[in-house]
Amino acid sequence: MANYFNTLPLREQLEQLSHAEFMETAEFADGVNALKGKKIVIVGAGAQGLNQGLNLRDSGLDISYALRKEAIEQKRDSWKNATDNNFTVGTYDELIPTADLVINLTPDKQHTAVINAVMPLMKQGAALSYSHGFNIVEEGMQIRKDITVLMVAPKCPGSEVRAEYLRGFGVPTLIAVHPENDPEGKGWAYAKAYCVGTGGHHAGVLKSSFVAEVKSDLMGEQTILCGLLQTGSILSFDKMVEKGIDAGYASKLVQYGVEVITEALKHGGVSGMLDRLSNPAKIKAFQISEELKDIMRPLFQKHQDDIMSGEFSKTMMEDWANGDVNLLKWRAETGETAFEKTPAGDVKIGEQEYFDNYVLMVAFVRAGVELAFETMVEAGIKPESAYYESLHETPLIANTIARKKLFEMNRVISDTAEYGCYLFDQACKPLLADFMKKVDTDLVGKNFNEGKDGSVDNVQLVQVNEILRSHPVEVVGVKLRKAMTAMKTIKTV
Amino acid sequence: MSNPVVHIVNLNLQYAGTPVLCNLNWRIYPGEHWVIAGKSGSGKSSLAKAMVKQEKASGEVIFTFDPDNPMPAQAFYVANWYQFANLEGDRNFYYQQRYNKQQQNDTLTVYADLIHFGKKYQLNFQDAEPILQALGFENCRETQLIELSSGEHKKLQLVQALWLRPQLLILDEPYTGLDKRSRKNLNSILDGMANVGTTLVLISNDRNIPDAVNRYAQIEDGQLHPVSDLDEIKQDEERQQKPFPYFLQKAPAVDNDTMIELRNVSVRYGEKQVLKNISWRVQAGEKWLLQGPNGSGKSTLLSLLNGDHPQAYTSAIFLFGNKRGSGESIWDIKQKIGIISPELHWYFDKNATVWHAIASGFYDSIGWFLQVKYEEKKQIEQLLDFFDLLEDKDKLLHTLPLGKQRLALLARTIIKNPQLLILDEPCQGLDRSQTAHFNAVLDELSGYGKTLIYVGHYESQLPACLDNRLVLEKGEVVISEHINRTTVY
Repeated sequence: MANYFNTLPLREQLEQLSHAEFMETAEFADGVNALKGKKIVIVGAGAQGLNQGLNLRDSGLDISYALRKEAIEQKRDSWKNATDNNFTVGTYDELIPTADLVINLTPDKQHTAVINAVMPLMKQGAALSYSHGFNIVEEGMQIRKDITVLMVAPKCPGSEVRAEYLRGFGVPTLIAVHPENDPEGKGWAYAKAYCVGTGGHHAGVLKSSFVAEVKSDLMGEQTILCGLLQTGSILSFDKMVEKGIDAGYASKLVQYGVEVITEALKHGGVSGMLDRLSNPAKIKAFQISEELKDIMRPLFQKHQDDIMSGEFSKTMMEDWANGDVNLLKWRAETGETAFEKTPAGDVKIGEQEYFDNYVLMVAFVRAGVELAFETMVEAGIKPESAYYESLHETPLIANTIARKKLFEMNRVISDTAEYGCYLFDQACKPLLADFMKKVDTDLVGKNFNEGKDGSVDNVQLVQVNEILRSHPVEVVGVKLRKAMTAMKTIKTV
Repeated sequence: MSNPVVHIVNLNLQYAGTPVLCNLNWRIYPGEHWVIAGKSGSGKSSLAKAMVKQEKASGEVIFTFDPDNPMPAQAFYVANWYQFANLEGDRNFYYQQRYNKQQQNDTLTVYADLIHFGKKYQLNFQDAEPILQALGFENCRETQLIELSSGEHKKLQLVQALWLRPQLLILDEPYTGLDKRSRKNLNSILDGMANVGTTLVLISNDRNIPDAVNRYAQIEDGQLHPVSDLDEIKQDEERQQKPFPYFLQKAPAVDNDTMIELRNVSVRYGEKQVLKNISWRVQAGEKWLLQGPNGSGKSTLLSLLNGDHPQAYTSAIFLFGNKRGSGESIWDIKQKIGIISPELHWYFDKNATVWHAIASGFYDSIGWFLQVKYEEKKQIEQLLDFFDLLEDKDKLLHTLPLGKQRLALLARTIIKNPQLLILDEPCQGLDRSQTAHFNAVLDELSGYGKTLIYVGHYESQLPACLDNRLVLEKGEVVISEHINRTTVY
């Protein structure tokens, strides 16, 4: 199978990359009608599979689950998830031939095997849905020409997809139709109806393409979302311990700080996050994040280039074929860091203290979000797509770090995200070695404002605020956040 | 005279800039057991929390415990509202979560939670057994915290306090959501503890309190005022019934004469049978009282009706004339129902103002996301006025006293003038006059073509309009009958 993106002429590559249209509510006026009475079969009953299925059924659609024979015979978790919630469960052979729409919600790594098993069983003119385009774009899977191929990708973990639906809301969602597979022209109607069934239409829907989704998703997850949060957390912890800060305190500050800080990012963007700092701290965070952007820009560009050329997916798939040697090695290393091994101390850290004592992480997050966004946009991805894959998802990953630290964070994210995260982390740490030598406890571990009188220069502050607020990620962010009027506050501490 | 167990000197506490407690002084001597009663919002819970340092207050709170008493020399506070987290400290749950089954177990079991508590205070598990029995909680051991109903959560809190047997026990609204038998048994355990040296402080407007209680007080103008007995406690004045908003004086359209029909419905989780062969028919216009001890299956039964329970899809359940799972969405169902329950309250959106909370009733959402029409805005204003909530409309719901929060959510329940009202302990947290007021509202409202299902543990606090009764025990229907005001139940 050849990389699909690389088979396209440049103008077609650019065309598909730049698909990003924010959809109006009126476009969903038909509700779930296009799928009403149709037989929908979901393959896979993990977090996304189960929770999307619960939503779709509660929206009045006919849902059942196709699982592998072994999963049924051995009563695995996926079988229990589906049967405990009173869904019909059957083997591929039993259910796929009846399906009008097959929704593939298995892990990325299994896609090729799943599609090869499922496709021959699908009836003429049926539809196939993905929630990530890796299989189509990077692995170049060819789908039978009579089958309609679409994507509905909720930009949240499965548990949130369910929780938000039951509140009467939804999570931001990206939808797409594969241009090579829309023989009857029904792709968009199906994608929209499916999206309504999950509640996504309440929270802002982006009309995208398989190509734009894959190239932006891979970039976001390996750089700012997982990679930089991991690098920044480990470096911050090690610095505090080196400077004599209590290890329990350091561990707690790092584990939960990233969630508290990015909660401000979620509600008010990058400038909202920096507004939580005192004026002198804000100027300092601005200055060091400028420096961090200069240092890391080449690395962000290399990641984007490798994603565009297919180099990244090629090396990752080689590792898959090689028994995950690199992945497992890096995973083991992540489990062995001092941060991972030091339990959070039994100390109370106030909400504001997480900002005042962790200015360094504020700087990391600003640098990472802006760099990822800028690099994606420079590569031809639209600002809306770039926003979702950088700023929007950062608090979600931060929440998983607060729950379970880095090792477990890496276990719950996708196969591609985990591999990309390690790749970035391996390269980024040495890159920041000189920078970190200059960092002291005023930036991480102690209150930056201590011993300072809080005064700043008027003009300098105005300039800093102006630069922060006029960044393109802020401009598009204001528009998109309006559609997510009722974002829920996430709290672990 | 010996030293007071509790000596409070000049306690001052503010909430959002408003003084709640002003130079409050209080001494509790050994042998005294107090009830603090009176109006909602007078500062009862704030006082309790300030005593155990859960709220910031200036002034002194001095405890003097008896060193010769073997009971733990500490003050223990049981809040009026429960709180739990999953294994990772996460507290973000949604209220239907307990009906959605997922393989990874997110919260501790009751048993594990008790073991954890016992370790922390070095307690013997055998000592907990009789308390579990007395509160009818012995079958909940393997239940996950997320699966407990609100009454069961209350019991878990109480089991811990009674097991610990502290020298000073402060209970804030301990009877909320408890069934009759548990309330009685709780009081006798408390009497037993009082006998051997526990000092009791109860915050409650309930009349059935432990015999040991011998001091009564209320809070007025931020200060504690002892009174000689419960009759002297000032309750909120009987509310002047305002004219009923006109939009609620219309009978809503009814979809089908049979609103609800269940045929032999059973629900089972693994080994645990929650509902067994339930057959029940509710005709349009009927007003049902649903009763049963905590854990008898009431919440599960209601969740089947409201579209919150996945097992509804495979059972013979007919709602508004349609079989469940015949292509309707849960929003089609919820649109016809006004619902309130302790769980809905507990999980309600913390970012919602009173106005938003009421507005969300039009769309059955938790919090508010959609455009509210002009006509709807007028109706919200009328209900705010009707429930005396106008001045609170822009405040965050969860910052108000519990009684007011409840009133706002009751307004949310009736705002769309639904054909079916499902009220699961609607008056929990309301004081007596608020309860009387709400029941009067309900009696009037039910005159306009409503069908009602009402869950209530307090026989003395039920609306007069109820005309049928269904009683569950261990998941089975034990009584299904017509009732009238003279029926003893």
